[in-house]
This record gives sequence, structure tokens and C-alpha cells, in this order.
Amino acid sequence: MKRFSLVEFSVNHPKLVVALSIIITLIFMTQFPKMRTDTNPKNMLPATSDVRMWNDEVEKTFSLYEDMIALGIVNEKGVLNKDTLSRIQRITDEILKMKGVAARDVSSFTTIDNVSVEAETLKVAPLMTKVPEDEKGIEYLRKMLYENPLFINRIISKDGKTTAIYVPLEKGANGKEIADRIREIVKKEKGDEQYYIAGDPVARDTFGAEMFKLMAIFAPIAGMVMLTVRYLMFRDLFLSFALMMDAMISIVWSMGLLIGLGYPIHIMSSMAPVFLMAIATDSMHIFNEFYFRYRETRDKKKAIIETMRAVSRPVRNTALATAAGFAVLLFMNIIPVKVFGGLVAFGTVALRILSFSFIPAMFTFVKDEKIEKIARSEDIGSDKTSQFLMKLAGLGIHKPVMTVLAGLLLFVVAIIGIAQAKVNNNLVEWFKKGSDVRVADTVINRALGGTSLGYVVAISKEDDYIKTPEAMRYLDGLQRRLEKLQVVGKTTSVVDYVKRINVVLHDDDRKYDVVPETKDIIGQYLFLFAMSAKPSDLDNVVDYPFKRANIWVQLKTWDAQAMRDVIKAVEEYKKDNPTPMELKPSGIAYFNLVWNDEVLGDMVKGFVLALIVVFGILAFDFRSVKWAIVGYTPLLFTILLIYGVVGFIGKDFDMPISVLSCLSLGMAVDFAIHFVSRLRQRLQETPQESLSDALLWTVARPGKGIVRNAVLFAASFAVMMFAPLTPYITVGAFIVSMMLLSSVMTLIYLPALITLLQGWLFKGGLR
Amino acid sequence: MKIIITFLKNLPAPLFAKEGNNRSVFDKEENTSLWQREVRRDFINTIHAITICLAIAVIFLLLISSASFAATAEDVMKKSQAAFLYQGKDFKSRVMMKLVSKGGQERIREMTMLRKNYGESGGNQKYFMYFFQPADVKDMTFMVYKYPAKDDDRWLFIPAINMVRRIAAQDKRSSFVGSDFTYEDVSGRDIEDDTHTITKEEKIGNKDCFVVKSTPKAADVDYSYKLSWVDKAAFLPIKEEYYDKRGELYKVFTADEVKEVKGFPTITKRTMKNLQSGHMTEVTYLKADYNIGIDDNLFSERFLKQPPKKWIE
Repeated sequence: MKRFSLVEFSVNHPKLVVALSIIITLIFMTQFPKMRTDTNPKNMLPATSDVRMWNDEVEKTFSLYEDMIALGIVNEKGVLNKDTLSRIQRITDEILKMKGVAARDVSSFTTIDNVSVEAETLKVAPLMTKVPEDEKGIEYLRKMLYENPLFINRIISKDGKTTAIYVPLEKGANGKEIADRIREIVKKEKGDEQYYIAGDPVARDTFGAEMFKLMAIFAPIAGMVMLTVRYLMFRDLFLSFALMMDAMISIVWSMGLLIGLGYPIHIMSSMAPVFLMAIATDSMHIFNEFYFRYRETRDKKKAIIETMRAVSRPVRNTALATAAGFAVLLFMNIIPVKVFGGLVAFGTVALRILSFSFIPAMFTFVKDEKIEKIARSEDIGSDKTSQFLMKLAGLGIHKPVMTVLAGLLLFVVAIIGIAQAKVNNNLVEWFKKGSDVRVADTVINRALGGTSLGYVVAISKEDDYIKTPEAMRYLDGLQRRLEKLQVVGKTTSVVDYVKRINVVLHDDDRKYDVVPETKDIIGQYLFLFAMSAKPSDLDNVVDYPFKRANIWVQLKTWDAQAMRDVIKAVEEYKKDNPTPMELKPSGIAYFNLVWNDEVLGDMVKGFVLALIVVFGILAFDFRSVKWAIVGYTPLLFTILLIYGVVGFIGKDFDMPISVLSCLSLGMAVDFAIHFVSRLRQRLQETPQESLSDALLWTVARPGKGIVRNAVLFAASFAVMMFAPLTPYITVGAFIVSMMLLSSVMTLIYLPALITLLQGWLFKGGLR
Repeated sequence: MKIIITFLKNLPAPLFAKEGNNRSVFDKEENTSLWQREVRRDFINTIHAITICLAIAVIFLLLISSASFAATAEDVMKKSQAAFLYQGKDFKSRVMMKLVSKGGQERIREMTMLRKNYGESGGNQKYFMYFFQPADVKDMTFMVYKYPAKDDDRWLFIPAINMVRRIAAQDKRSSFVGSDFTYEDVSGRDIEDDTHTITKEEKIGNKDCFVVKSTPKAADVDYSYKLSWVDKAAFLPIKEEYYDKRGELYKVFTADEVKEVKGFPTITKRTMKNLQSGHMTEVTYLKADYNIGIDDNLFSERFLKQPPKKWIE
């Protein structure tokens, strides 16, 4: 009964309550300037997770860079001409001067080490020290490029039209700044060449910018849309604003808390404002009821208190259910999802506190005549919406068996659809098709070895084992096997260097393009190579004691499946060819795979948890397991239907979708809670009414609130469908369909099920 | 220099012009006696002469001092080169190289290094290296003929396939056997390739040092300038800092131990650290010795394949 006193207090001291809410909001707002974003996919999993620890170890062992930008240069007439080559040289020189660029390891025509033999002299030097003056020089360069398998598909495409400059970044460098500066540099070059900038840091930083856009543009637009829709529903700007403020306050509180606690904003938490705005629509039921009550009592204060008494339980419990749905996410493995769950759960609780204080307080400021005017239009009999809803519900009440059978059929179809779904997170596909990031990725993937990088690390038990011919031959064989995979564009390992030196030392005799006979030869070749090449050339592929070797596997797609294929091929190869070496996958592609599987695991875990928790809340609220089961069915059904559709249209089940599976339960259950509690209330209040009449009343009065709620909810999320990043679009589309469908399902299937199961539900008599 | 010469050429003209002016002033004094005029003229001429002499002296002094400054910086570097890389007629040492990665992984290189000078300091040199470690490169040998102002000649013997290969040596700034030292760091850089200035004098530990800034004249070097702390007494570089093209410090050389060998102060422990990659190389000279009478014919392909024990042990 404590909450009732909060309502009464707020009604009696409205100004104080509003002032307090605003002051608290301002306090939370002071945290906003500290906001920072985190768009690094690595942070999806904790730094202590196995895959990250292992990847860090591999990075350290082989002196690998965490971040690399690839600048693709395409000339349809071929890049091997004086002009393009001069441009490559100029651009490379400029890049080398940039702060944050690991200049020593930039790979370009002018910096990449080339091992060659010339007039009996072994030469390890940058491929192109100066731009060739004449055709002869260019022919010589062409020969150098295509002779060396290390270059093909790395810095020159097979058709000679594409080259790339690989720009590794120092730790902590700002990828976007560097990418922007590279863009400026290439802009100065006039010619036929086209330039494409790809790479993780670019994607990440673009993502970060889009995220801010979502929060700064799309969330406010969603707010405006809701304001407009609400105004059209109630014709009262003041109340629409009150509701809007309610949402805004909770957004500021939760975002302020998040930022204040030092968490960065991640893709999921960037969606929180829109979610909170939508969840705030639940106070719709308060408004809905208030206008009905006011018509009956004509006393504002009394109407408020009565309204709150009537709706407090469902409103409280729906909030509980929603908060629980989000709180379930706290048990997930993926950090941003966890943070998001906690964030929205907090916001939901804040919203409910506001519903019992701020909103009643605001009600008192509305002029009586105004309420009168609106309340007059709220009449079940004359209202078109209510009439339509009653017709809809009539379907379920009068033909319950048919309705349920139709539902079962749909259910089966949905299951088939779900069976076809595939779990996949492709980070590049989070960008829209025509976006710079995706175009650059596509171009470079088509022409060169691939932008997604995985590693296969061979680990032996003894030092220097990698130098043995059997280890070398083994790795060589494995590379050939991997290169047969469609998704693999190129592989590189220490073996490639050894074979290259073998050929070069024997005056380019192709016969020697094999692993040498003895360990000593290999050791001496590697030493010879290390004598003049860049240290990183060897460091990247072999560790210091020659105990571990690193095969670079360039993949042509960011699909998680690609790395799964690689791992499978490695395992098969190992089965056919036993070895004392252990072969372990690593790299960003492997991380994506692990993370992807975590998403699947999380989805299942979260869904089951949400099912249990929401069921528990329903059972608790209804004080009946039977009613809980009935209330549960339509919403479960809705979720299955939507997943079925997702499966049928072939959309990947990615992180946002899996998160939604838990959330939607918690959000859509609101409808069932409102419906069932109000129905049972009605049955008690009007004992003479038949069950179908009571059902029809419920559909028409609280049902209208449900539909309004759903429409508002959907309206705010519909805005996200115009967002620049696909996860937002997915979430938008998902929630819109979820809300509309589940409200309709509730209004059709709940009456049908209740009618059908009345004997079982009302065992001890109808009341 | 040019400026001063032009200055000198232009100097007399205004001076004489001034004299002409003066004379006309005296000429106007028509009532003064001829004698008086003579005396005055003499006096004025003397003053003029003194002025000119003084001016010339000042200019000369200026010239001398600026030249001597320039000479000093270059001189310091020349003396340093002689003390550091050309000491004695020849030199032999067992060299232990420890390559340490950022992650703390280590690689060892062990070799005997022989060096013989041909001509003055800054002139030709020949180097002969025999590797003991890593184990699989034992018996590998490496020979360098070093010429100032010209690409070196390098040969490598690969024992496993019994082959001697010439190795192109276009880039003296490339890594020496995979370490953080470049070929140039090992065998020296031509003094004329850089412009040198003394920026300050500073104490490092208890050693008074010149701090010399050397800026390469050509752009094809991986650093934009180098600062060397050269010990005023022994002329050995105690510390060197390399600044990259962005002006950031990226490599640091330190002489960690200096010992006297046959009266020659010799750096027996040195470190080169790459601050950007975090990689580091420590070099220790064991059994360093000078003037041991290395034969000329050691530096030949024949001995590359079969180095005489007495030289390499």
C-alpha cells in the first residue's frame, strides 16, 4: 500500500514531485559529457575470455598488429604503369609520415621486402625503390611481382588491376583519423585510379559515428513520432508531453547512470533510448483508464486515485515482467548485451516509479474542461476502434476451435521456418549494401586475398621443430588443403619464405620451389632471410624458438561459417596426416566464430530463462498457473511466428535478434497481464455478466489500451527501420511486427482460449 | 660562407665612398694651410686604414670562429668514428648478440667478428664473421668489404648447400642479422653523408659529452636526424638517439660498458632499443683484441668456406 501513498502524495504535492524529478534528471545529465563509445567487436566478450587471452598471446608471440587499414587502389587499365606507380609511391610516402601508423611495417610496393636473384647476387630489398622510367623497368617489376607467390593476391591482383597498401596502426591510434587523412591524401591524386579504404578500424569507427547518429537523431525522431501519435489519440498536447517527459526522464536517468558508472556505449546500449521510449508507452493504460474513470466520477483527484488503484497491479506487474525480461540478459556471456539488459531494466523500474509519482502529479495540472472533452470521446459503444476490436475478439469467442486450429497450423509452419534459420554474425553486413565500408570490402575481397583474417597456429613441443622438413612439408600441405576452400583467398606461412629462398638461391629454378631436404638448410635459409629482411616478415609467421608457426588464412567473407570451414578442414587434414604438432585457430575471424557461438548459446539460455521468469511472474500475478499458461500462449505463438518468418526469408540470426527473443517475451507479456487481470476484475465487479460479454468488454476497454500501446510502441520502433545500420533495421522491424502481432494475437487468442478452456479455468464456478 | 665573401666584396665600396665624401668636406676649408691639410689627410688615411684593418680582422675572426665551430662538430664525429670503428690496425672479438622481442622472447646470435682497416680512419675496411649460434647456422660465414661513398660488397657462405652467394647491399640501413643494429651501425656511416652541428655539451654519468646533431643530406634514410653524445675524453659515442621522419624518437643506442683493451677504450656492451616496435638488441664483446695481424687473404671466398681455426676461435 506504500505505492498508493506515493500516488496520493504526488497528487497532493504535484509541484514538489515535478520539481524533484527535474532536479534528479539534471544531476544525471551532468554525466553526459563523459560519454564514450566502444565499437570494438572484441569487447563483446570479456578480456579474460579464453578466446581473447589466446588471441592476445598469438598477437604477442608473432608481433601482430591488432589493427590494420587496407587501402585498395584499382586502375581498370592495370596498376603497372608509370603514373599509377608514382601515385602509389607518393601515397605510401605520405602514409609513412603519419602519426599513429606503424611505419616500419607498412606494406606497399615501395616497402615490401622482395627476395630475388640478379646477376648471381641475392637481393633482399623493397620491391620498388623507385618508379621504373621505361617499359623495360615496368616489365621487370611485373616479372618480380608475379614470380613471387607471396605478392600475388596480397599486393597485386591476378589481373593486375588492383593493388593494396596495408597500414598497420600503433596501439591506441585513432583509426578514423588515419583513414580520413588517407582519404585526403588520395583526393589530391588525379587520375583513373579508384581508392577503397577497408579494415576493421575503419568499420568500427564508422559504426561509432552511426551509433551517435542513432542516439542523437533517430531516438529524438522516435520521440516526436510517439508524441504525434499520442496527440492524435488523446488530442491533448499537455498530456502527450507529460508522457514524453516521463520517457525522457527515465532515459536520462539510465543513460546518466550508465555513463556515470564508466561504461562505454555499445551497439546494444545505443538502442536503449528507443526501447525506454517504447516501454514508457505502458503508462498508456493509466491514461486510458483515467479518461474512462473521469467520465464516471467527474472528480479529477478521485479519478486519478481510482485509476491508479485499478491499474496499479497490472502496471506494476507488467513493469516487473519487462524488467525481468531485460534483467535476464544480465546472465548472458556477451558484455554489451549484459550492460544493455541492466540498463533497460533500471530504466523500466525508473519509469514505473515515475508512473506512480510524476504522471499523477502531471494529471493535476490539466484543466478539468479539457479532460471532460477527451473523456467524452472515450465511450465504448460509439468508439470505432473498440467496435472493431470487439468484432475481432468475437472471432475467438464464437469460433474458438477453428481459431485455435488455424493457430496450430501456423505454429507448424513457423517451426519449419525456424529449423531453416542459420546463426551468423557478419560484422561487415551490419553496414548497408551501398555503404563505403561494404563496397571497399567487396572490392578488396574480390580482387585480393580477403579482408577477414584468421590464423592457424601450429604448436610443437620442442624448440626448432618448425625448421624440420617434416614440419615444413606438413604446413605446406595444410596450406594447399585450406586454399581449396571456397572461402579462403590466400594463405601465407614461413614455408612460403623458405621455398622462395630455395628458388632464388638456385637462380630462379622452379624445380626448387619445394621444402628443402634438411633442417640445416632450412635453418640457414631462414637465417639468411632474417639477415636482410624486415624483422616483422619472419616474426609474423614464426616464434623466436621456432616452436610455433603461424599460418595466415585470408578469408573472403566475414561470415562465421568461413572460419568453421577452415577449422573443419584443419581437423580433417590432421586426421589424414597425424602430426606431433597441435593446430589451433586464432585471429579475428576465429573470434567472430566463438562470439557467434556464444550468441547462439546465449539465445537459447536467455530464451529459456525468460520463459521461466515471465511464466513465474504471470503465475504470481494471476495467482494461478492455469491462467499463466493461457496468458502465455498467444505471446509464445507470436514469437515463434516471427522467428519462423526470419527463418523463411533467410535472414541471419544475429546478436540483435537473439537479444530480442528474450526481450520480446518480457515486453509482449504486458498485454496478457493487462487483459487477464482486467477480465478477472470485471468478472468480479459485474457478477451478472456472461463470460463472453465480460470478454468483449475487456477487449473493448483495456483492449483498446493494449492496441494503443502496441501502435505507439511500433511507431517508435518503425523509425529505426530507416537507420543506416542493419542491426537497427532488424530490431526496428522485429519489434514493430512483434508488437502489432502480439497485441492482435492477445485479443484474438486469449478470448478463444478462455472460452475453450473455461471449464478447466473456472473449475470452482465462473467467478 | 658565401654571404661573408659577398660582404667582403661589397665592403670597400662604401668605405671609399665615405672617404671621398670626407675629402670634399675638407676641400671646402679653403683657408687652411696645405701643411695642415697634409697632416689631416694623413691622419684620416690612417684612421681609414685602421678601420679597414679592424673590419677585416672582425670578419676574419667571424669566419675563423664559424669555420672552427663547423670543424669542431665534424671533427668530433671524425674522432668518434676513429675511436669507435677504426681503432687499431685490426680487431677481433667474440660477439654475443641477444635479440629481445617486445614480448620478452629472445634469440641469440654468437659469432666471431674480425675487422681490418685499409687506409685512414673513414677509409676502406674488411669484415669477416663466423657464426656459432644459432646452432643450425654453425659454420656460416659472412664477409663485407666496406667502401666509403659506395655500396659494400657482401658475401655469405651457406654451409648446408656449400654455396657462397653475393648479397646485394643497396641498403646500409637494413637490419644486421635481424638485430636492431643496421649494417651502418656496425660498420659506420660516412661522415660526409650528414651535416653535423654541436647543439650542446652535457654530462652523461661522469662523462662530459658533446651532443652532435647529424642530419642526413639525402632523404633515403629511415631517420630524419640523430643526436650523439660523444665522450670528450675517449670520443666514444655514449648514447645516440634516432628521430624518425615524424620527428619522434624511435631508436636509442647506449654504450653500457667501456673497457680498455690494449690501451684502446672499447665499448664492450651496447644496446639498441627500438622504442616503436619494443624490440631490443644487446651486444656483448668478449675477448676483444687489437692489432693481432690478420692476414689479407683471410678475406677471400676460399676462407669463407673454410675459415682458419686460429682466426675464428
